[in-house]
Amino acid sequence: AAQLPVLPWSEVTFLAPVTWPDKVVCVGMNYVDHCKEQNVPVPKEPIIFSKFASSIVGPYDEVVLPPQSQEVDWEVELAVVIGKKGKHIKATDAMAHVAGFTVAHDVSARDWLTRRNGKQWLLGKTFDTFCPLGPALVTKDSVADPHNLKICCRVNGEVVQSSNTNQMVFKTEDLIAWVSQFVTFYPGDVILTGTPPGVGVFRKPPVFLKKGDEVQCEIEELGVIINKVV
Amino acid sequence: AAQLPVLPRSEVTFLAPVTRPDKVVCVGMNYVDHCKEQNVPVPKEPIIFSKFASSIVGPYDEVVLPPQSQEVDWEVELAVVIGKKGKHIKATDAMAHVAGFTVAHDVSARDWQMRRNGKQWLLGKTFDTFCPLGPALVTKDSVADPHNLKICCRVNGEVVQSGNTNQMVFKTEDLIAWVSQFVTFYPGDVILTGTPPGVGVFRKPPVFLKKGDEVQCEIEELGVIINKVV
Repeated sequence: AAQLPVLPWSEVTFLAPVTWPDKVVCVGMNYVDHCKEQNVPVPKEPIIFSKFASSIVGPYDEVVLPPQSQEVDWEVELAVVIGKKGKHIKATDAMAHVAGFTVAHDVSARDWLTRRNGKQWLLGKTFDTFCPLGPALVTKDSVADPHNLKICCRVNGEVVQSSNTNQMVFKTEDLIAWVSQFVTFYPGDVILTGTPPGVGVFRKPPVFLKKGDEVQCEIEELGVIINKVV
Repeated sequence: AAQLPVLPRSEVTFLAPVTRPDKVVCVGMNYVDHCKEQNVPVPKEPIIFSKFASSIVGPYDEVVLPPQSQEVDWEVELAVVIGKKGKHIKATDAMAHVAGFTVAHDVSARDWQMRRNGKQWLLGKTFDTFCPLGPALVTKDSVADPHNLKICCRVNGEVVQSGNTNQMVFKTEDLIAWVSQFVTFYPGDVILTGTPPGVGVFRKPPVFLKKGDEVQCEIEELGVIINKVV
């Protein structure tokens, strides 16, 4: 068989595995241990918000600190990519609508989330470059159990978040069933399934990202995305 | 010159003038008189939220009442359609980024918007069919002054909202400048600029849409969209 062509890494730019989806659906407070960290009860229903697709960047792209925020924070998340259109999907059928999984960094401007924009979270979540995705779309057949994966975030090499997707309150199937009561899912739609504890805003004192920081978001079996803050 | 082909109306389905945009940006409490109706102060900054593009339907399509909501309400709005990519757009340059205007119906499930989903408005605003648009994209050169247009909503022929776009707190230019601080606008992006007073939820007693209702949303110079509730 012919040898496949090999390109030097330096000549390649990795894009996000999904660009321009119809929807980037996000879930708030979806890790039991992240709820404890905030001293809030575990939600009885998923809390759904969104980012615009225009915030998506590649796995090794830069995250641009906007001058309007002094409180930009990290959040590693398991992202689910939809592969098949559906509405009113039952939890038992939900995995048939999943193409695969990837790593997301749900970059968050805390000042805009909690104190501005009438407390609607959208603006603080959707600055350009605030949604690095990658490094690959790992198809679901290649993932033994998406709800038993180590998930961690490192800032400048120091582990700041370290947990397991088994801490998710609402699992992939529940989230697809819930959201598809409201909206039709289309192939390419992305669901960011929430972040484990260890975010900067709840540290004492709070810690936020600054220019020059390097953030690594890693999930077992899915890989690592590395985004420099500029 | 050759005669243009003429199709009978019954053989034609009108789609929305914009389908599958990257963004549907919405603005809350953006009419001075709508703020008075709610007894809330006029916002000092625009309050931005969103719908998913999957909620868009055509100007004469049906609005489907979801079984999950008992409080589906009407909101006629002036919609701005972006024609040119841009970020950090100055208010004085903003009209150069506008392709034109159309009529929107920002259908809203008040129970989900106000009391569920952690008070994030998204789900109550983004059920499928909750964003009728049309009947046409009226190019900006055809509109004398987008901020001096009569705007009204009728339910079963009765006028329920009647205002003028001169009551908008933040005008088209201000909104484009504000939102483009956060995100890049792309051609096709839609901005729903807020609703005048007269919505059902603030009536005494409150009134909501029911199956069989016909909602007409009309803006001077832009036309009327007619959506039956099923």
